[in-house]
Amino acid sequence: MSVDVTGVDRDTLVRPIKTFSNRYVAALAVALGLIGVWLFFYSQQLRNGLIVTNLADWGSGGGVPWGLYIGAFIWWVGIAHGGIILSAAVRLLGMDTYQPVARLAELLTIAALTCAGIFILIHVGRPDRLVTSVLPAWPTRVQWSPLMWDVTVITAYFVLTATYLALTIRYDVNRLRDRLPNRLEPLYAALTVGYTETEDEVVERMVWWIAFAIIIMAPLLLHGGVIPWLFSLLPSMAGWHGGVQGPSFLSIALTSAVSGIIIIAAAFRHAYGWEELIPRAVFQGLAKWLGFFSLIFLWLQLQQVITGIFAAPTTLQHATEVKISTPLYWVAIGLVVLAMLYAFATALRPDLFDIRALVGISVGVLIGTLTEKVLFVVEGLQHAHFALYDGVPGQYVPSPVEISAVLGTVGIVVLFFLVVSKVIPVVELHAIEEHEEVDA
Amino acid sequence: MSTDDESMYTTVDEEDRQLLEETEFDAELGAEMARDAQRVAADELSEVEFYRRYHDRILEEFDVDDREIAIPDPDEVDADDVNAVDRVEEAFGGIGEALRDVGGDDAESRRSVMKKGAAAAALGLSGLGTAGATTGGNGTAGAGGDDGEGTRWGMTINLNNCDGCLACMVACNQEHNLSRGANWMYVFSFEDEGQGDETNFLPRTCQHCTDSPCTKVCPVGARHTREEDGLVLTDYDICIGCRYCEVSCPYGVNYFQWGEPDVPESEVDDDHQIDDRGRWVGSRPPEGVMGKCTFCVDRQDGQMGEDLIGTTACEEACAMNAIHFGDLNDPESDPNQHLAEYRDGQENDTSTYPNRKGHTVSTFKLMEERGTEPNVQFIGNEPSPHAEQVEGPVAYEDVGLVDDRKEVLDRGAAANGGEEA
Repeated sequence: MSVDVTGVDRDTLVRPIKTFSNRYVAALAVALGLIGVWLFFYSQQLRNGLIVTNLADWGSGGGVPWGLYIGAFIWWVGIAHGGIILSAAVRLLGMDTYQPVARLAELLTIAALTCAGIFILIHVGRPDRLVTSVLPAWPTRVQWSPLMWDVTVITAYFVLTATYLALTIRYDVNRLRDRLPNRLEPLYAALTVGYTETEDEVVERMVWWIAFAIIIMAPLLLHGGVIPWLFSLLPSMAGWHGGVQGPSFLSIALTSAVSGIIIIAAAFRHAYGWEELIPRAVFQGLAKWLGFFSLIFLWLQLQQVITGIFAAPTTLQHATEVKISTPLYWVAIGLVVLAMLYAFATALRPDLFDIRALVGISVGVLIGTLTEKVLFVVEGLQHAHFALYDGVPGQYVPSPVEISAVLGTVGIVVLFFLVVSKVIPVVELHAIEEHEEVDA
Repeated sequence: MSTDDESMYTTVDEEDRQLLEETEFDAELGAEMARDAQRVAADELSEVEFYRRYHDRILEEFDVDDREIAIPDPDEVDADDVNAVDRVEEAFGGIGEALRDVGGDDAESRRSVMKKGAAAAALGLSGLGTAGATTGGNGTAGAGGDDGEGTRWGMTINLNNCDGCLACMVACNQEHNLSRGANWMYVFSFEDEGQGDETNFLPRTCQHCTDSPCTKVCPVGARHTREEDGLVLTDYDICIGCRYCEVSCPYGVNYFQWGEPDVPESEVDDDHQIDDRGRWVGSRPPEGVMGKCTFCVDRQDGQMGEDLIGTTACEEACAMNAIHFGDLNDPESDPNQHLAEYRDGQENDTSTYPNRKGHTVSTFKLMEERGTEPNVQFIGNEPSPHAEQVEGPVAYEDVGLVDDRKEVLDRGAAANGGEEA
């Protein structure tokens, strides 16, 4: 399947920058509203401490010390990792069909990583020490603490992604400069500082290598590595341990990311009449990827459930039994099953395919993966190996303060796209034009 | 020096070199220093020259030259100091053996981690030594494992003596100004299968593990093992409150300070809070950081008087002679003595069964299979996986304690106030 969108003109590409509608204002209001709701609740946490969450100590304390904040952190990091893996794959494997959504995926990565960072910030008891304690400890702690590995790799990864984006934007901004608003001139001047057309070839190679680094780093070290290792290396919690967590986390990341890209691409397509720029075939392709990743996700869940209940050690067996008797778990699994069935059904019968239905399915998948991740964290902590405590399993239902943070971060991502789409082209020039050959 | 001379010294062999290279530090520097250290030991290179030769490179590599520990400062060297060579030999001996431990293996104990520290110090790898010291590893052999050197605070808790009076919990709460429900000392009353409705008791402190997961996972080194005596402590000035120590601990001994502490800072004496290294590790934690049993670090540092060194609040409050605190490396200490006497009192019939052990006393450590090497041992029956906590003869509420801290926290949250709303 290949889609040719090279007939689309440059004006179409900069349409989001050139237009301004009531719907835009409405979307902006919703995003700011969501952020406002969160900030209102978060101010309570700043005043009173983490006591305003429904977290508590495990053990005699009768609660769980990690909850929705950590679940949402994993979820956002997953979306971020999956997003950039897809973008890098487009570049490395020459999957030109998805070129129109590659930059959207990169931008989603930046926004989602920011949200993940926010969740760490609001999760810790002393956010003011994140710099003063972490930086001095880095040289000695990085060889021991999985959390330090995590901070290190995610930071490196953020830098890679931002570099990747900054390099590819220079080409576009330079060529579309006459169509971009003058009031932002200082920004464009900064973005394209020192630009000459002779750099294109070099940048192209640099970007290739960055994409290569990302494609190696993200599955092995990030969502298939440091994030699951935060849990799977510990001796304390039965449901967390084991080698399957890496692949399992990665499958969830990819499933979530494809869903996120589908939603954002569909939103831009709808808002700016981009039927030509992001054709239906792109979504049909993404749907197949969604179906495939959902299948892997479900397969890895099956692995965990079967090994956890057949003849597992007592505590693991108990944790697994609780997991499969939790209705919310089956809601999460059901939403992903639905996505898989829809993707495969529409692959066989393309006339059944509908972008709006796919967006609905994708929203469902994101709800499902967030639910699964929160359950993984919370139920993992509820079933410690040491179960003599009356307070084990602990009780946990997220408080309004915690739930508002999820809404707030969704608002931040929406706001991010609303603002960025007014400043730079969110679809690469390469999607509609062949790369210009320049004599070096 | 000629090549022949070189061959006189044990060179850092290939295996050792690989181990060196696995560290993040300059392997070449380590190897060269190891070789020259032997020359110093053989009196062919002066200490001063040794110091000068590597001083700049060590500073470049580690930002600090800690060799003063083993090698005197050149400005202070006494030319007639005949013991200097001995000290160097001591410091640099067994390099190969020590290095092998740097590689470690899955079953690596803290002792071997500590040897890493020793090996690193011997090679002047002060940076690596520091890393060992801030992880669970003690950096020196002093607090180490079962090697009998230095102090290693620990407990023997005789469950056969405990009657579940909760006096230890009350004493701990009072001495450390704990917020309600933060039960650093916690006494389980439980029934086990096959024992009818007989109630058993198990007092649970922090296990002050030799190979503690909480110190390993701490991203900032706030949770650490104190070199001098193996206490597992939290530096309240550094802790970021991520609660990773709490989720990694198999025993559930950590209590986060979710809101304002019940006892304000103004009512807590510095003597109880600051240890002998000047670090804030004692008494209840401030808001937003993690707390847990400290084995009464203030007492061990002599802040409450010389006669309270080697005691804990819970031990002092125990009228049943169940809790025995002391230096596990000292055969004469209370925990070791109590165990020995208890075993002596329950001799086994070795005349008929000569291969049986000499006593019938059963001891255990909590979840020893987790590999944490706890420094609390229990006399009595280990609760089975089917044991269930039950109400004891004295209810927590009866002595002013709170069992389920979540109830306190939920009320505190609802009232938007401190933990005690």
